[in-house]
Amino acid sequence: MEKLLQAKDEEYVKDLFQKNLVNEVKLTLIVQSQGGDKVNKFNEPYLPYAEEIIQEIASLSDKIMVNIYKDSPEKEKEYAIKNVSALFIEGKNTDKNIVYYGMPSGHEFSSLLEDIIDVSRGLTSLPEVVKDKIRKISSAVEILVFVTPTCPYCPKAVRTAHQFALENKNIKGVMIEANEYPEWSEKYSVYAVPKIIINEKVQFEGALPEEEFLNSVYEAIGINLA
Amino acid sequence: MSELFGITVTATAEKRPDLNKTYDILIVGAGPSGLTAAIYSGRSKLETLIIEKLSPGGEIATSEWIDNYPGFPGGIAGSELANLFKKQALRFGAKIISAEVKKVERSDKIFTLQTDAGQIRGKTVIVSTGAEPVKLPLPEEEKFRGKGIAYCATCDAAFFKDKPVAVIGGGDTAVHEAIYLSKFTSKLYLVHRRNELRAVKMLQEEILNNPKVIPELGFIPSRVLGEKKVEGLEIENAITHEKKTLDVKGIFVAIGIIPNSSLVKNLASIDEKGHIIVNSKMETSVPGLYAAGDVRNTPLRQVVTACGDGAIAAFQAEQYIKNL
Repeated sequence: MEKLLQAKDEEYVKDLFQKNLVNEVKLTLIVQSQGGDKVNKFNEPYLPYAEEIIQEIASLSDKIMVNIYKDSPEKEKEYAIKNVSALFIEGKNTDKNIVYYGMPSGHEFSSLLEDIIDVSRGLTSLPEVVKDKIRKISSAVEILVFVTPTCPYCPKAVRTAHQFALENKNIKGVMIEANEYPEWSEKYSVYAVPKIIINEKVQFEGALPEEEFLNSVYEAIGINLA
Repeated sequence: MSELFGITVTATAEKRPDLNKTYDILIVGAGPSGLTAAIYSGRSKLETLIIEKLSPGGEIATSEWIDNYPGFPGGIAGSELANLFKKQALRFGAKIISAEVKKVERSDKIFTLQTDAGQIRGKTVIVSTGAEPVKLPLPEEEKFRGKGIAYCATCDAAFFKDKPVAVIGGGDTAVHEAIYLSKFTSKLYLVHRRNELRAVKMLQEEILNNPKVIPELGFIPSRVLGEKKVEGLEIENAITHEKKTLDVKGIFVAIGIIPNSSLVKNLASIDEKGHIIVNSKMETSVPGLYAAGDVRNTPLRQVVTACGDGAIAAFQAEQYIKNL
């Protein structure tokens, strides 16, 4: 396969990692291969690339490890996998709670790089007041963020969900690439991105500032601010 | 596939503003004008901080292809151009943070920006916050926004694959959106209130020769049909008031923009349409406060003019700081 990263971009990412990575980061890809029960014509074309891109990224820093589990019902269960190709960014402060379903490509490629840096450092750039509130959440929260790779407003929503997850293991931040999962998107009536669904209860469209995003999380877990 | 892994938006390391520092130039908004201002101020060795609430690039990040920015004879993808601007600004020392500015205040010749990342101080401020699309002026807009009514073709076209859609508007933006969408949709109605499109001739020719496109000129949208999502659009002839219904599942709206000027509305002079009023030096009515790009009273809203504004604003800010 032709390489996905161009030489000049590779150099940029290598340098970025060199300057910013602290602790080891694990990229765990849990994927079905052709013929898998969740594979369909929409996601199948992307499967080979899912593996390729994380291998290429990992080759740019010795702090990045790769685990690929293909057609592994045990791992699918362990990681509570919901669909055909799931990428977890794992580090010291994560608990299988920073996830990408589908390719983190286009505008989402920057989300992936920034996630790797955050996870490696074990900290986020969220405002302190938001961090304090996030860390206090004790109920389980699942944030789904539907995106398309051509949406420049989407990374903000994905990053916010993933940063919340890195600050609190009770929160799971899930990116879903809508092109690869049309049925999943249909289920939540996604016609514009980013679309955010929290605990199947609260939903909104668009990239909200962190504090307003947090208020939606509160609403989903029944914390009344008024 | 590899085109999807160009570094569309570069990840950056430093994400927190220095709240103890008084920056020379604070730039609000990282579109073409803000990033160009940062290139110039960086080269003048001024401490420069850009504050962006979404992703750098601004409006051009949603443009599939830009054909009229000089230096790229074959055109360039909007997101790639945005990224090149950003790289260039970073190269000269500008810092970009992700935060939302809520208020701009000024006292004793120092500006204070209230942001969700804290209070940031600066000697000068360049407002390059751009503009956002005007909403479809129908009561059903709110109900159907995100359920068929959309404002960003590059973001949402994928949800209308092989479905009929309408684009509302007749300017460059509307036609660009229509050209992009027509690659996905089964049929595309271009609804514009005048009998002639306003877009530049080249774009008009391209869209009117597109076999998927049905122009509905002289019509305005009158009602959105549907239960939970868009199932159709009723349009009305602007003169005869004759009505007809278009069988569409999506409505993309590009009928103009509103400048994002509310941040300084109590500080600087603003015209009746909401543009920040500046002179040819990009100076607002407040010393040390500049505006550049789509947010100002400009006769032309293009990448190249926004860049020009940004350069002038940064240059003037530097002169202002020298005389402080």
